Amino acid sequence: MITRKASLFLIAPAIILLGCLFLYPLGYSLLWAFRDEEFGGWGLQNFAKAFALYSNDVLFTLIIVTLSTAIIGVLSVAIGGYLTLGENRVALVVLRWLYRWPLFIPFVVAAQLMRTFLAKNGMMNNIIVSTGLMEPLQAASYLDWRGIVITFVWKQTPFVALLVAGAMASLDRSTIEAARNLGASRLRILFEIVVPQVATTLMVGLILSYVVMMSVLSVPLMINAQTPTMITVDMAWRINAYSDYGVANALGFISYAMTAVIAWVYLRQGVREGGKPA
Amino acid sequence: MTSKIANLFTSAALALAIGSMAQAENVLNVASGGSQNMVDYVTDYLGPLFEEQNPGWEVNVVGTGPGNAGSQAILEKIKAQAGNETWDTDVVVMTQLKSGEMVTEGLLQKYVGDIETGKLATRDTSKSALGTDVEGYVMPMFHSQTAIAYNPDLVSNPPASFDELKTWTAENKGAFGYNGIKNGMSGVAFTAAWMYAYAGNTDQLMNGPYDPELKNSWDQALNDLKAFNENVTFTPGNAGTLDMMNRGEIVMGPVWVDMFYTWQADGRLNPNLKLLLPEPGMPGQPYYYAVPAKAENAEAARKFIALATSPEVQAEGIVKRFNWYPGIDAQHVESALDQETWNKLFTDVTPEDLAAKGKPFPLGPFFDDIREAYEQKVSN
Repeated sequence: MITRKASLFLIAPAIILLGCLFLYPLGYSLLWAFRDEEFGGWGLQNFAKAFALYSNDVLFTLIIVTLSTAIIGVLSVAIGGYLTLGENRVALVVLRWLYRWPLFIPFVVAAQLMRTFLAKNGMMNNIIVSTGLMEPLQAASYLDWRGIVITFVWKQTPFVALLVAGAMASLDRSTIEAARNLGASRLRILFEIVVPQVATTLMVGLILSYVVMMSVLSVPLMINAQTPTMITVDMAWRINAYSDYGVANALGFISYAMTAVIAWVYLRQGVREGGKPA
Repeated sequence: MTSKIANLFTSAALALAIGSMAQAENVLNVASGGSQNMVDYVTDYLGPLFEEQNPGWEVNVVGTGPGNAGSQAILEKIKAQAGNETWDTDVVVMTQLKSGEMVTEGLLQKYVGDIETGKLATRDTSKSALGTDVEGYVMPMFHSQTAIAYNPDLVSNPPASFDELKTWTAENKGAFGYNGIKNGMSGVAFTAAWMYAYAGNTDQLMNGPYDPELKNSWDQALNDLKAFNENVTFTPGNAGTLDMMNRGEIVMGPVWVDMFYTWQADGRLNPNLKLLLPEPGMPGQPYYYAVPAKAENAEAARKFIALATSPEVQAEGIVKRFNWYPGIDAQHVESALDQETWNKLFTDVTPEDLAAKGKPFPLGPFFDDIREAYEQKVSN
């Protein structure tokens, strides 16, 4: 039996690392969001500036990430559902093999791929035009908010689908069989039997995706040339163009707030299930 | 705090890179606050040349990334060891803005008078960096310049001034593309050029004195720019503009001249594309070689910079291999270069154009005001 002291000693390195590399900088940047470097005082000046210049970007970020999360949810339920309830063996094998690929591709690479794929005269439009479905003049660039959503969905769906499909596979099949015996359609089984049972896993996957997407800099930077843009871009810009850590910290504070709401849901979910987050 | 953590990591990275080279007899540590090609320039060309001429020396170069952010990392690293006897960085390559700050903070040493090539650089940029007096502290590594690239197959009569450009974009909606101000310096340069053309007080913007009230007179210029933006396509970055020209999505846009020629030389860009410098001109900038005040190997650093700014190296390395404009005065380089290469560099933009229409970036504080005014009034 490990004593209490020994166990504290064992987890000490992890706690120290967490403290030095995560909690300390987090606290510091939260605090320094309220620091006014110019006049040397404390106050809300950074927030006032952040809202004056970037309120549209904050809203844009919220909409993009929420929309992406919703689409990821729908797609991962569809993929997981087909893997659990599908009957065509070939389709199952192909889907199972294909859907995980984007997991292994970093965001920056995905952004670069999409940059050439979604451009006005990019690969996607070229393919559509060459099949005769569209005139070359109708081709439009997707390198705006749609590009960001497409990249996020493409990159994060496999992650959630992997979790959801795993949870679905470990369900007690007898409930599904019972519903099928009673003549329920597959769609009805999916939404009334399967999804409610994996809802927690689905939520956890979506929350984690939401938080990851909030923090991505490369995708909006490389894909979205328009304004408004996402707040990560603004944070990088404040630091690189003006060495202005104050407003960057304020923007960071806002994005913490946006994820904190989500984290609260996640933790509450955990408490309800007996004190351990899924 | 984020800055301190970032510094910590930068310093750790620099220390690791430098530490790994420690086994060589004498190591000259060069920190370059530029893009990858500027690091390649030292690793592939200048470093080996120096090592060949100075047996027993090894050149170790670390890149900290492009723009003022990269130079800021060097500045912070040097500041962090300010209390030490000697500093472990011997040569720094930095942007104008940050070199000026380093001179002001006393972090650099005067060396230009001590090296032979010192008198070869007499352009105003070797004396003043965005309003800060840097004479004696810096030697320009190269000058780079922004210009408008266009496709002559599709634009037979390209606009020769910003006024003509305005009319042209109104007639050809979406055919002109630039990258705004958050996606790279070519878009920032275009915006600065717009302000030079329309905001008035052009000389003051470039040479000072700084007046915080001046930005209140920019509304008209910024509103016009907002209207202009309605007719253009936004591109994702400096490379993004060239990519979009390649794919025929836009036919005109501001680019860095060196990047343009390098891409063309590598076969990555339509060889027919051409450059022009519209009236009243567009900004360019040098990168500087400088020596930190307490550099451990200051003597070798001087030798290194003397080599780097010699006409032969400027001709072969800077102009021929990397398509930059020379850092030292052009006439010293011309004689060391074959006529063909020389002509290639000046085909579209002549030396006269460059002298008349190659502008510096605005004075530091004006530059901040311009970017912030753009955020407030153009993109918001």
